[in-house]
Amino acid sequence: MKYRKQIALIALNCLAFAAVAIFLFPYAFMVASAFKSRLETFAYPPIWIFRPTLENFRTILADIHIMFYMKNSTIVASASTILTMLFAIPATYSLARYRFPFKEGIAYGFLFLQMVPAISIVFSLFYIARTFGLHDTYLFLILCYLLWNVPYAIWMLRGFLEAIPVELEEAAMVDGCSRFKAFLVITLPLMGGGLAASAILIFIGVWNEFALAFFLTSTEARTMPTTIAFFLTHAGIKWGPMFATATLGTLPVVAFALIVRKYFISALTLGAVKG
Amino acid sequence: MHRRNQGQSYIPYLLIFPAFTAVFLIAAYSVFWLARMSLVDWVFGADWARARWGGLANYIWLLFDPNSLLWTSLKTTTIYVAATIVAEFLLGFGLALLLNEKIYGRSIYTAILIIPIVLMPSMVGMVGRLYFNYDGLVNFFVESIFHVKLNWYGPELALWAVILVDIWEWTPFFVLIMLAGLQSLPREPYEAAVVDGASGFQILRLVTIPMLAPIILTAIILRFMDVLRIFDVVFAMFGGGPGTATTTLPLLVYRLTMVARNVGRGSAVSIMLIILIVTLTYLLVKWFERTKYEG
Repeated sequence: MKYRKQIALIALNCLAFAAVAIFLFPYAFMVASAFKSRLETFAYPPIWIFRPTLENFRTILADIHIMFYMKNSTIVASASTILTMLFAIPATYSLARYRFPFKEGIAYGFLFLQMVPAISIVFSLFYIARTFGLHDTYLFLILCYLLWNVPYAIWMLRGFLEAIPVELEEAAMVDGCSRFKAFLVITLPLMGGGLAASAILIFIGVWNEFALAFFLTSTEARTMPTTIAFFLTHAGIKWGPMFATATLGTLPVVAFALIVRKYFISALTLGAVKG
Repeated sequence: MHRRNQGQSYIPYLLIFPAFTAVFLIAAYSVFWLARMSLVDWVFGADWARARWGGLANYIWLLFDPNSLLWTSLKTTTIYVAATIVAEFLLGFGLALLLNEKIYGRSIYTAILIIPIVLMPSMVGMVGRLYFNYDGLVNFFVESIFHVKLNWYGPELALWAVILVDIWEWTPFFVLIMLAGLQSLPREPYEAAVVDGASGFQILRLVTIPMLAPIILTAIILRFMDVLRIFDVVFAMFGGGPGTATTTLPLLVYRLTMVARNVGRGSAVSIMLIILIVTLTYLLVKWFERTKYEG
């Protein structure tokens, strides 16, 4: 009986290993392909053992100036994340701690706005950008990301803030703190996990966003996801550089998400587990 | 807990004002602009002075004209949404149950499962395009197992290639959410069920699923809202083609507005898409809240 249980456990472990391997494999193969030479990338059947080369990375650094787009992505994603938090925190505090007319209406207004697909309003955003001469600027891209990220952050943070007892703040206020200081000293540190979780998701979301970045920029403010267009040439697709770019572009977020994976999973499950 | 805060009634508005302006100014203008454009007969690039009011002509064309892709696109979107969500839920639930057993290295597995979720979708689409090539990685495995190679770039299979990529990308999302849910469930009902002599399947059906239901529903709703508006992966893989095979509603917006440059029709589809998503989400959330209170 005990013997059978152990065999079942081993079988389950093998199954879990195989299942997770299937999810890792396409990514691992992509990273490996970035180090293949040109002919090896589209060899059939696929080549498993090869001598790694940095040729593709050399191409994207020298010919496509990929670091320029990495820089743009970093600027846009960081600035959007910080600005989002600056706008969202006071708004969240207002929704979580005060009672006022139309409160839930405003909250739902934000939620519905967050649901508008980027592709559906990208042309009108393009039109606005052209009217104000803001096309292809960091500023406009960052402003546009606020439309989705501020509502998202408000809905994520509200749960965290409401879970922190208001009595803590009131105790600090009795001790002579101003309301603002009570929030800053007592509540904000307690929200640390929630702030980190939503900031992470927002940063990753902006880093990866394609539709707005693609249609609202052309050369100066272009970000990493839009560089896919460079690899579609008349002579076909440049697979090697493409794999190298995908590896480079996904490396920061993958590393980042793995380092903070506890926060990441809690952010994903936030709405779900709290229900 | 709120009643002590009523002293200065302008403060809550003051706090919410910056966020409200930042978000609603551009958004409201955009939606207003779209609504107006959807009533105009205008092709981008043509002289704006020649644009005419078309009334509801764009909507009528989309709904009734035989050349309109609205209905095929709606069908494609339905297949895409249904196939991905059903597959992702079933696979995700299975894998979450599996990982909830005594599995060695579970934390490494959950870390690995984060990867597909955080990858750049446009890059995922491009890489997917190579993998689904006739001489690509997917066909290598298909050929090894079934001794045939499939034409994934053809109109019959292109949509399924995109769906497979979506399943690969988002099944881990269900796994992570449901695994966290499973691990937060109380032990007592399980012990009681074992004492009562319930079989493994009965425990799953009568104990696990009902307790996990709110989490399952939330995961499905979150994914549903997102999958309806996916643009990047599909665009990078096939751009809506071949023909109309992968033209989901977001791709239809792109084709009408950016490719055909028919801003009027494109805006009309955009408005319909926004209404569809907002209404469906609203109904789902309301239904979810109701079942939660009753349950």
